[in-house]
Amino acid sequence: LSERTAARRKINLMQLVYGKPESKSSDEMKEISDEGSEDDEFFKPKGEGNKISQKGIHENDVDIDDCSKFLSNVSLKDWSSDDMVASIRDRFVTGDWSKASLRNQLS
Amino acid sequence: MGKIQYMRLKGSQNLRLRLLLSTLSTTPIIIEDIRAEATWPGLRPYEVSFLRLLEKISDDCRVEINETGTSLKYKPGIVMGGRHLVHDCGTTRSIGYFLEPLILLGLFAKKPLTIRLKGITNDSKDPCVDTFRSTTLPMLKQFGVPSEGLELKIESRGVPPLGGGEVVLSVPIIQDSLKAITWIDEGMVKRIRGHTFSTKVSVQFENIMIHAARGIFNSFLPDVHIFTDHKAGQQAGNSPGYGISLVAETTSGCYISADTSVSYAQGKEEGELEEEKQELSPPEDVGIKIANILLAEIEQGGVVDSTHQGLLFLLCALCPQDVSKVRVGKLSPYGIGVLRHIRDFLGVKFVIKPDPSTETVILKCVGCGLKNLSRKIS
Repeated sequence: LSERTAARRKINLMQLVYGKPESKSSDEMKEISDEGSEDDEFFKPKGEGNKISQKGIHENDVDIDDCSKFLSNVSLKDWSSDDMVASIRDRFVTGDWSKASLRNQLS
Repeated sequence: MGKIQYMRLKGSQNLRLRLLLSTLSTTPIIIEDIRAEATWPGLRPYEVSFLRLLEKISDDCRVEINETGTSLKYKPGIVMGGRHLVHDCGTTRSIGYFLEPLILLGLFAKKPLTIRLKGITNDSKDPCVDTFRSTTLPMLKQFGVPSEGLELKIESRGVPPLGGGEVVLSVPIIQDSLKAITWIDEGMVKRIRGHTFSTKVSVQFENIMIHAARGIFNSFLPDVHIFTDHKAGQQAGNSPGYGISLVAETTSGCYISADTSVSYAQGKEEGELEEEKQELSPPEDVGIKIANILLAEIEQGGVVDSTHQGLLFLLCALCPQDVSKVRVGKLSPYGIGVLRHIRDFLGVKFVIKPDPSTETVILKCVGCGLKNLSRKIS
C-alpha cells in the first residue's frame, strides 16, 4: 500500500510541475477561447486586470515578480520552545548520530 | 541567412531566467504582453539594465524593445566574457538579481569574466552578496567548477534606496562541461557562520543582531561565529542600513543560508503600493527572525536552501549526459518555474520523487550535455 501511495504522490509532483502532458494543448486552447469572450467588455479599468490576477492562482500569473528568494513558506515558528528544538535536534552534530545515519540510509 | 525561428513567450515572469536559458541554448525568443495590463506597463528599469548587461558581455546579440516596452525580441549572441567590465545595476533591484544569471553565463563564456557591478549590495528581496560568497560559490564547486578565479570581492556596500555599493565578480570558464553529481546526503549541521554589516549607522546594531541570533543557536550548537563588517565613509554607500547573512555548514559540505537586511524603503516610482516603512525594525528582532528562518531552512532537509533551488536545477540540467541526483526540501515556486523553463528550453525533464520518510524531494535528471563551445580551442 505504501508503495502505491508513493507512486501516486510521485505522479502528483510531476504533474504539479509539468502539467498533464496529453491534455495540455487542449487546455491551452480553451484558455485562449475564454480570453476571447472576456474581450466583450471593451472598456475595462486597468486596475481590474490586476485584481483578477491577484485572486487567481500564482501559477497562472504571468507577471509574477522575478525573485529567487522565497519567504512565505518559512512560516515563522518559535524555535525557543523545547518541542521545536527537539524536532530538529538530530540535524545538528550535537544530536543523535545514529538517527541521522538512519535517515540517509533510507533514501 | 534564413529566417530566424523565435520562441514565443508571454508575460514578464522569470524574465532573466528566460534570457539566461535563451542565451545558453542559443534560442532566439520573443516575449509579449510584458505587464500590458499594469498601470505602469512594460519593462522595469532593472530588466532593461539586465538586457544592457547581456549586450555588454556577449557578441552579436540583438535586443529589440517596442515603444511601450511590452514586447521584447532577443537574439542571443556568443558570451565573450572579458576583464575590466563595468556595469551599473541601478537602484531598483540589488546586485544579487544580476549575479544569479551572470555566474552561469560566465562559466560558458569565451574568456574568463571579471566585472565590476555597482548598485545595491544588500537588500531584503534578493540574496545578498555575503550569501553569494558563503553559499553560492561553494555550491558551484560541487559541479566541478574550478575554484581558481572564482571570487566575489565586496569593495563597498550600498543599501536601498540610494545604493552606492561596488563588487567585483570573477568567474572562470569551464574547460569542457560541468560534472554530473549525486548529491543527496545533506549531512548534519556542524557549524554556523555569518556576516553582519552596517552602513552609516553605529556598529552597535551589529552586536545586538549577533547577540540575538546567538541566543537562539545556543541550544543547538556551540560553534557559531558571526563576523562584523562595519563600513564608514566612502565604503558605506549612500544610505543607512544594516543586515545579516547566516550560513549553516554541514558535515557533507552543504551550505544552507538565510539573509536579510534593513533599510529605508525604495522610492515610489515602482508604481506598486508598498507600505512605506518609516520605522525600521530593531536589530534584535532582525537577529531573531533571521535565526528562525535559518532553522526553518535546516528543518527542510535539502542539500541547498530554498533560495538556491533554481540554481541547483539549472546546474543539473546543464551537466553532460549523465544522471544527476539531488535532494531538496519543499519545492519553491521559483524552483518550479525553473524546472518548467528548463524543460521548454533545454528539453530536460526531471524525475521528481518525494521521500516521505524525511519529507524531502529527490530529483533526478539526465543533463542536456551543454559544452562550452565558445571557448577558444587551442
